[in-house]
Formats: sequence, structure tokens, C-alpha cells
Amino acid sequence: MDNKPSLSQYFGDKEVPPASQFFDEIGTSPSDMVQSIYLGEPEGNVSANQTTTNNLFPQNMSVSFTQHKTSEEMTFTNVLPTVSGSTAVPAASLPDPSTFFDTIGPEPQIAPTKPSIATPTVLAEAMDGLSIKNQPVDKEADRRRDAWIPNDEAKKTLMKAQSSPKGSFFPEREVLTMPGLILEEELADALQEVAVKYLGVSSAGSRGVVRAEHVSRDEAGLRELLRTGYLRAAINLTHVLISAAGQGVGRMHRPTKHTPRSLQLWLTRFAVMLRIKLTDPLLKEAEPFGDFSKPDMFYEFYPDSYDNRTGSLVPFSLRLLVAELPAHVGKPDEAVDRLYAMLDVIQTMLSNLREGKTEDGSATITETDKTESIRLWMGRETRVMHSLVNCAIAMKDYRQAARILSTLQQQASSAGARRAACSALCRLWLLAGHVRAATACLDAARDARHHICPTPDVREYVDMGLIDIAHGKYQDAYNNFARAADQEPTNIMVANNLSVCLLYMGRLKEAIAVLQKAINSDPERGLNESLLINLCTLYELESSKTNEKKLNLLRMLCKYKSDTIPNVLECLKL
Amino acid sequence: MDPKDVVEHLVALKVMRLTKPALISPKIVTCDSKDLPGNILNNYLKDDATSVTQMETLAAGQFLLLPQSFGNIYLGETFSCYVCVHNETNNPVQSVSIKADLQTNSQRILLTTQQNLSPTMLDVDETLSDVIHHEVKDLGTHILVCEVTYMSNYNTLASFRKFFKFEVMKPLDVKTKFYNAESDDVYLEAQVQNITSGPIILEQVSLESSQQFNVKSLNEINDGMSVFGDVTLLQPQESCQYLYCLTPRENISKEIKLLAAAKNIGKLDIVWRSNLGEKGRLQTSQLQRMTPDYGDIRLTFEKLPSKVSVEEPFDFQCKIVNASERTLDLILKLRSLQDSSLLWCGISNKKLGPLEPGQSLYISLTALPINTGLCNISGVSLLDLFLKRTYDYDDIASVFVC
Repeated sequence: MDNKPSLSQYFGDKEVPPASQFFDEIGTSPSDMVQSIYLGEPEGNVSANQTTTNNLFPQNMSVSFTQHKTSEEMTFTNVLPTVSGSTAVPAASLPDPSTFFDTIGPEPQIAPTKPSIATPTVLAEAMDGLSIKNQPVDKEADRRRDAWIPNDEAKKTLMKAQSSPKGSFFPEREVLTMPGLILEEELADALQEVAVKYLGVSSAGSRGVVRAEHVSRDEAGLRELLRTGYLRAAINLTHVLISAAGQGVGRMHRPTKHTPRSLQLWLTRFAVMLRIKLTDPLLKEAEPFGDFSKPDMFYEFYPDSYDNRTGSLVPFSLRLLVAELPAHVGKPDEAVDRLYAMLDVIQTMLSNLREGKTEDGSATITETDKTESIRLWMGRETRVMHSLVNCAIAMKDYRQAARILSTLQQQASSAGARRAACSALCRLWLLAGHVRAATACLDAARDARHHICPTPDVREYVDMGLIDIAHGKYQDAYNNFARAADQEPTNIMVANNLSVCLLYMGRLKEAIAVLQKAINSDPERGLNESLLINLCTLYELESSKTNEKKLNLLRMLCKYKSDTIPNVLECLKL
Repeated sequence: MDPKDVVEHLVALKVMRLTKPALISPKIVTCDSKDLPGNILNNYLKDDATSVTQMETLAAGQFLLLPQSFGNIYLGETFSCYVCVHNETNNPVQSVSIKADLQTNSQRILLTTQQNLSPTMLDVDETLSDVIHHEVKDLGTHILVCEVTYMSNYNTLASFRKFFKFEVMKPLDVKTKFYNAESDDVYLEAQVQNITSGPIILEQVSLESSQQFNVKSLNEINDGMSVFGDVTLLQPQESCQYLYCLTPRENISKEIKLLAAAKNIGKLDIVWRSNLGEKGRLQTSQLQRMTPDYGDIRLTFEKLPSKVSVEEPFDFQCKIVNASERTLDLILKLRSLQDSSLLWCGISNKKLGPLEPGQSLYISLTALPINTGLCNISGVSLLDLFLKRTYDYDDIASVFVC
């Protein structure tokens, strides 16, 4: 038991303090609902966290975790999602589950032990999620997080599964979800490849390869690759893990066993593929899942394994990701249909909850449970609505986007949320070219801002600058961006906008200088895809001898970034 | 451009069209903190310079991205571009100057640069640059011609040109319809259709009337709110219909000749905006209506009630205008048609006396409705004694009987 990767790390969550979760647990009052989808603000107290994290390893962690050395190279990004307006919790006092998970990977471990991959039986056992049974489990939290209402078709099958005597339920092929890997080849480190091609083997180094080979071949290793930005290597590792779970290449359209773990692996794979824009294989691999409405996506389908557990095995983020998928390949209208179907289920669940019942309406729940659930699901509802706005923007259907955003704005319960929505509406109208409406929204945002702070902040100055740009007043826009830069001299976005203004004002050399300074002052954030595109556009406008400058950027990328940029060549216009 | 060409010259010329920049957002991929990737992907999103703090999951960013393609350009928009000359050598280059022309199908326009008209010296790695603006007033092919002149190494003036071709397209389709009302008012219906490839906002649509008319826009409700609501956003191919009422100015409405000649209605002035406020403005040519043919005599009813009671006589006035060139001698006849719901009260075959050209005459008439419903007023005839010709006026107006 001790040397198996324990699923309870991700699914059992007794040890995990609730203060700092992304969707579900932010804030303490229902008024924080909308903000609960915000990603919070980085908090910097790394050293304090290192110590807490060390103390936090529970005793039943796998061998690879407890093996010493863990504290040596913890450069984790500790993030405590705080909500503006709500009480901020000091980072040191609350171990964040993200730090907790993100740092357990054995950093420099030159891998003598790869226990999980060694014996298939051990692996299979671990995958069944059996280990969950030995863990203290917060059943309410599980139910809340996994809740989903099956459609009528699936309900029938689930009834059958539940009522059949043990061992006598044999589902039809049609009710099964049968995924399999499509993308076969191992992905190479893209940045590395470009570097080798343009800079030669010596300057490119060989960091990526080493990194990918020296993480443990399990979830911890996967997280390690993600955290250090070796995204293509992470995809390769999901390939290994999913194959081991019996859903590898060639397994598509063949019956298979789903576990929460296998779906978490798919989620990780899909999320990373989406990030680096591997949309074609992603679409194909996501296709067998459909809209996750098959009965085998529900716990009730497996009465023997998940006694009394309800809801879906599918993580909400995976459901959302796959629903949004068509929008990333130029079919936002299809995504809209899927997202509205999701919204419908969520709203049914919310109305059940408001009546004091569980999400699926099958039982009654306590008041605290109800409050928690409503908070979680309203946060998810808002997240879906954001996706709908994003699809509408992608379709340039600004009317629809504005309609949804206005709803969000009206529902906003705090000044901060209202302000954020008004500010977003302002920019939405700018996209459409409706300068008058944008100005009105900016005024509304300013009113809301007065409840938070007396003087304009970066966001407001930037919005003002954007409106100036719409009016073609680049000098005014420049001045506004400059005021924003006074407040946050290291803000990359502000520097970028200053640079764009300078170009429109006929000051190319200065525009280039501003961007270069921004990159040099904060290479990690400054080496952003869009900023690189802007800078290379300016280089190309300036002179026909741009190659050396672009290669310098490539060298910086190699130094400061790992394999996170979807298309390096495109960014650098090489 | 042939690369050899570039090598031959000491300076290089680059041109970039400055359409409005775009607002960009990151790829939004998030997870629950309890999912396998934990907050790692969320943190990527949050740390992305293009995401908006606390609104990371919404793709309405604040990060400006420079235009990455030439894009479309439409009549009425402003063509802006950045022209840049760069010293590509390791020595200063003397007497560098840029000249830009825009050639259309019909004309050649010298684009005025803000500065840099006089030749300058370009030091090593220095640039000479300028932003050019030009409001596009022609359709079809345009060619931007940029000419760079500089002092070559042999102390002679060298120059080269670059050509940039683009098509100017029509952004809007405007269809108009006119209705000439009895009251001499003219109603104009203008349908403005977006024929660009993206959505546009109609920021202003107004009718500048000609000297002969006063205009009243019928597109707002009492408090100045547009009937189209907040937004006049037109998706590609969508159109919006505007309605205007034009009343002839007093000096014109009095004179039937002038009224008949008042063809010019006015011009529609349209201002629209698209992506990030890119602005365009068009004015139509003078809109012309078909004037009604009044013939020799124009007969209209005035002070006619819209609603009358059955079997109660009602009064109204009949206006007769001599639109001919001669004096008219007329007889008014009132005929009772067979299935008419109205009976005339008063004298038929009444002589109206001589009517000078351009003059008008009012007669009071009384009628008795005998059936309910909407009744046409029919049966008025005028007999021209000189030509022995009868003019019948049927169905000129209606009245509701209840």
C-alpha cells in the first residue's frame, strides 16, 4: 500500500484545507460566488511555505514522495487565490493544496525507483480507486463536486445497473464510452527543436530531455512536468499512463473500465493539448466521450465498486473543456449549444438545491451543505457563462456577449464583481466599435471602483487608454497607459500597450525599446507569445536585418522558458 | 520584393498598414484545484501577461496586439500606414527622403507626410519614418507608391520605389424609398445594409435635407432614445431601416410649381465604427424623389375628421389648385355612387368661377354616412368648361364611420 500512488491525494480530501481552492472553495459568503472563479492573486511568501509543506506530507504518501530531498528545489508558485474584498489569509498559515501537490514531485531524483510503472498489477489495483475506501472521505464534498444529472436514456441503464443482482448486469455496447489514444508519436520539445535548428546543438542545451526522463512516471511526475512547463513531455507521459489504464492507441471503440483516475488523466492530457493548440488530435480523442452522457460516466453504473456514490466520474473541468472544444476550431456555434446544455443541467441542480434537496433532487440535505453546494455550483454556472461570452466574442456576436455579461453584471453582489463585469463590457463594446457604450460602461465601472478605492488603478487607466485608441487619440492613450505604468512599472501588459501606442504615434524605435525593456526586466512573464509577436512585427518594420534580434529572443526563451509556447516559429516570425 | 533589390540599396523601405490593433486574450484552460493538474494550469493563465486579473476566464482582454495582416479597407475609412526607411549599412547615408503617392483609378494623390519632407542624414541603424493618413474616397484598386531617395556612395542621388496595391470595397448598401403624402410631406425610408465582412456599429445616420425641405427624424422615441435600442449593431448582411419625414418649406408649399419641381430631398450622412473603433463615414449623393404629377387640377381634402358617427352629417373642406398655365372655369359635381356608404348633402353642378393659374380655392362639403365601416369618399367631379372635360376624383380619402 505504502508505495502505491494513492488516489486519495486527488480525490480524498480530508487533509486539504478548504481555504484556497480554485472553483469550489473560495470565499466564505455567498456574495463571493462570482469571484470564486477568479484565479486570485499570487502571494510571494515562498520560504514560509516550504517549511509548512514539509510538515504536511501525510504518512501514507508513496515512497517517491517521502524520499528526502524534497525541500531542496522547491520553486513552486504558491498561489493563494484570494478574493478582493474578502479576508485575505496569510499564505504561510494555510497550506495550499496546489502547493501541496505541486511540490511533492521528487525534483532531482535520478530515478532508480519507478515503482508504479514496474508492475502492471500494482498499477491496475491503484487505478481502481480502491485505495479510496481506506481513506477518510468527505462524502458531502464528493457528492457536491461530482454531482451531475444523467439524461433519461442513461437513467434507465443506471436503474438497471443498480437493481440487478451483483454480477448479473451486462450493459449493451451502445451505453459504453470507449475512448482511445490517437496521437501516437512522441512529441519532442518544440522549443528545443527550434533552438537546435537555429542556434545549433551546443547553445540549445539538452535540458528538456533530461527533465522529462527523470520524473517519476506517475501523477506526481506529470505535475512536475506541468509545473516546470515541459508540456509536450507531459502529454507524452499522459500517453504512457492512459495506455497503462487500458485506453491506449487502438483501444478506441473497445469496452474499457473508467475510473476517476483515468478521467483525470484524460483531463490533464486534453487541457495541455488545448494549451499548446494540438487541436486536431484532441478533437479526435475527445470524440468518443461525446458529451459524457453515457451511463458508464456515472458512479451509479458501478454499484459494486462505488457503493452509494452518486454523480459523474467526469471532472467538471473536463466536461467544460470538451464542451468548449468546437470553439477552438472555428465552430463556436456548436460549443454554444453544448454549453447551454450544461447550463441547463446546472440550473436544474441549483433549483433542486434551493429546494433543500441534493443536486440530483433525490434526497434532502442540511443547511450548511446546501449553502456550500449552491456556492460551488453558482461559481461553476458563472464559469460556463464566461465560456458562453467567449464563444459569442469568437463569433463576433457582440449583442449576445453583451447580454450575458449584463446579466452577470446585474447578478454581481459585490462592488468588485460589478466593477470587473462593467470593465469587461467596456472592452467588449470596444471590440464591436461601440465607443459610446464603452464609455458608459467605463463610467459604471468607475462608480463601482469608488466603493473599492478612491483613485483610478491600472485597470481603469488601461480601459481609458483603450477608449482613446478607439477615438484615434494615441497621445491621450499613451498618457493613460503611462499613468498605469507609474502605478505598476513592471506590468507587462501596460508596457506592451505603451509600445503599441508609440508605433501609432510614429515612434518605432521607442516602441521597440519599451518592449525590450519589458522583456529584460521580467523575462518569465515578458516572453509572452503575443508580446513576442508584437516585438517581431516591430523588428520587421524597422529593418530587413532582423534575424539576429529574433535569435536573441530565441536564446532568451531557451534560458527562461520551457516548452509552453504552442508555436515558437510563428511568434518569432522565423 | 526581390531580395537582391534590397541588397543593392543602402537603405531599406518597410511599410505597414496601421489598422486598429486587436485586443488579445490567452488560451483559457482551467481546472478545479482538486483535479490532477491542481492549480498549475490556472496559475499559467493567471501569470499570462494577456489575462486580466480577476477576470481571467473571460476573453475580453486589455492586451493590444498589432495588426498581423493588411485586412480589408472600405470606402469612407481612413487608410493609415507606417512608412519606415532604415539605414542598412555601417556608414551614415546622406540626403534620405520619402515620397508617397496614392494612385486610384481616377486620380493620383500626393500623401502629405507630417515631417521629413526635406532630405535628412541617416546614421547607422537609424530610421526615417512617418505615419500617413488618407481618407479613402474612391472605390476599386489603389496603389500606394513609396519612393525613397538618398545619396549613394558615388555621391549621386539614388532612388527606388515600392508599390503596394489594395482594393477599396463598398461598406454599405443604401436603398431608399419615397412616399409623397397628400399633405405634401415626403416620407423617406432608407435601408442601410452592412456589406462588409464583419459587424459594424452605426454610430450616426442622419438626413441633411436640401434647401426645399425641413426634415424630421422618425427614428427616436420621445426621450431621444433610438427605436433600435441601445445598439445599432449590424452583422454582415444585416440592415437597418430609417424613416424621415420631410416637410416642404413654406415658400415652396405655397407654390404648386415649386412644389412640383422640388426633387432634391437631401443627403444621408452615415458614420460607422468597427473593430476597436475603426471609423468610416459616407455621405450619399443628393437623393431625388419622383414628384407626383398633379395634372391641370389638384384636388385635396382638408379638415376631414378621421372618425364620424353614422347617420350624422359631417363637414370637410375641398381644396382645388389650378396647376395648369391658364385660367380655369370649373363646375363642381357631386355624384352619389350606387353602393357608396356616403350621401352628399348640398348643391351639385355649382359654378366655381374663374381660377387663375397657381391659385387655390376652398369649398365646404357635407356628407351623410349611411353605413358603418371604413368609407371611401368618392363622387366628386370637376367639369372644365373650356375643354369640356370632366375630372373624376374617387377614393381620394377615407373616413371611419361608427
